[in-house]
Amino acid sequence: MIISKDNMGALADAIGATQTVYVPGTERAATRFVAHKKGEPVVLGGANVRMPPKDLLFPATEKMYRWKKHEGQLSLETEAAAHEPFTVLGVRPCDMASVAKLDLVFLTKGFVDEFYQARRDAATFVAVTCVDPDGDCFCEAMGVRLDAAPAADVLLVDRGGAYEAKPQTEKGEAAVAAWAEALGAGADAAAGDAVEAHCTLNPAAAKAEERLRAEDFDNVWHSVADYCLTCGTCTFECPTCYCFDISQDVRADEGARFRCWDSCMFTQYTLMAGNHNPRADRASRVRQRFMHKLRYFADRYGEGLCVGCGRCIRDCPAGVDIAAIIDAVATAPEHELTEAARTVQADEAKKEAAHV
Amino acid sequence: MNDATQIVRERATALLADGTVAAVVGWAAGRGDHDRHVFVARTPEEAALLVADQYCGALAAKRVLSLLDEGKIALVARGCESRAVNRFMADRQLKRDQVHVIGWPCPGMLDPATGDALKRCTECQRRNPVLSDEVVGDPVPEPELDRFAELERFEQKTPEERRAFFQDMYESCIRCYACRNACPCCTCRVCFVDQERVGWMGEEFTADQARYYGTVRAFHTGDRCIECGECQRVCPQHLPLMLLMHKQVRDIDGLFGPYPGGGMEPEGPDPLRTYHTDDLEEFM
Repeated sequence: MIISKDNMGALADAIGATQTVYVPGTERAATRFVAHKKGEPVVLGGANVRMPPKDLLFPATEKMYRWKKHEGQLSLETEAAAHEPFTVLGVRPCDMASVAKLDLVFLTKGFVDEFYQARRDAATFVAVTCVDPDGDCFCEAMGVRLDAAPAADVLLVDRGGAYEAKPQTEKGEAAVAAWAEALGAGADAAAGDAVEAHCTLNPAAAKAEERLRAEDFDNVWHSVADYCLTCGTCTFECPTCYCFDISQDVRADEGARFRCWDSCMFTQYTLMAGNHNPRADRASRVRQRFMHKLRYFADRYGEGLCVGCGRCIRDCPAGVDIAAIIDAVATAPEHELTEAARTVQADEAKKEAAHV
Repeated sequence: MNDATQIVRERATALLADGTVAAVVGWAAGRGDHDRHVFVARTPEEAALLVADQYCGALAAKRVLSLLDEGKIALVARGCESRAVNRFMADRQLKRDQVHVIGWPCPGMLDPATGDALKRCTECQRRNPVLSDEVVGDPVPEPELDRFAELERFEQKTPEERRAFFQDMYESCIRCYACRNACPCCTCRVCFVDQERVGWMGEEFTADQARYYGTVRAFHTGDRCIECGECQRVCPQHLPLMLLMHKQVRDIDGLFGPYPGGGMEPEGPDPLRTYHTDDLEEFM
């Protein structure tokens, strides 16, 4: 099915007839995915939205359960429930890759987060191939292709004046069939060749990941900590940062538990009872953020946690640049091996000796 | 290389080489042509990386406070940084002999993305450093700008429009605390929002909590603000944070002035914490 770019508004109207459809727009001082209003134009090209789509699956603040005490009886009421179906239209390959990573966090390794799952099951993701990478985009270095979004239900391939809609899941097949019916002749536009685009920024991520396993880069973390403000901008704008904190709102005999986004950049993040803080200094928090993005997540899930969307570079008020940090690590002169790496090497040597 | 960069590098190298200071706080270049970030040079080799040109948008002064354990610190200081040094001294965060001020008469900074003048520079009163141990280059003419223009436009709004304006502003705040972390007046060891056991502040991301944070921070810094505008520059949502600051500065000037703004002199003026027998007492 080929849909003219001029028909994106009509497409959003058609989907919007039965469910909420989120499209790139501006709301609350930022570009983000906003609920489409019937009749408004929809444009999928240009710069990516500043706020990623993660809050549609994992809201910044989310009620978990309420409790109430009445005549000595305690009652609990969960807030987790099936979610109304919704569609996200115009997600870039980088952001679609971020959803796949959030799926790993919230749905695998033996625990399913019911709040996330309710929204995830209700969502239909319509991705669009990216033809507008800017100077801070480096998704290709992080294993994302600009012309593919395997986690999406439907992929819109940019073919000049029109998009070719390719369903990729059962949900996607049903969606595209419904669009064809709703759009009629509007679903049969002329198409050119698929537009090809590439990132100009290509940090050496694989090399950095490998070296972060074996060496200490304290000098890198300290030099970044010399200018990082340790504010939460990067973590809140990051499409894959998923840390949250659980809090409560307690009244006399009722209350609610809720969770909200937290940031490893904040001093409070690791503050423990008795006032001990293992990451009290800026450099250790900077180290944690980049080690998690570039190495720890890969240790646990087999892939890194950065999708190269470039938001943290574009909007960092202090000029912290993850692409430059990746290259600084990849090209640094050889360091002393870390204690952990030495132990691993010794163990491997022992194993080899035993085999012989 | 421009003259200022060259002189700053030479002076930083000399100060580090002869042991006058342990580190020099300035700026260095990032990946992009016009990317600059705050930079701490601790060796003569690192001093060769310092840059002082029209893209050094960030306020460098606050970094000095976290380096005091390393020894005496040199700071490349424009008008705004020098006023921050006065602020730190008045707030007992810094002693004069802990900092060596390399004054840099400021040419005004540009936004690296657009090439336009930074907003904080279009509202600047003092481009030449108000204190220094040495100065790089010749004094520049002080700007003749109306820093309250935005405030005056705002005050034309009706009360309903103002309410809607602030509601929109605080709904947009993502509470990243960049404004607080960048502010030279925010030097509390533990910020009120981080005092979890007291529970001043709820953790929910709502307009109410953001308004509570934003207004308390504005009032806590109102009579000390040096009007550097760094809070607004660092805000990732580009919120008009300087409105409330300019409002307070202008009110203090009108009610208890003359008040030129914070950090102009090493000790004060400090009108809200200074009692005069002829102070206004309209409320009595």
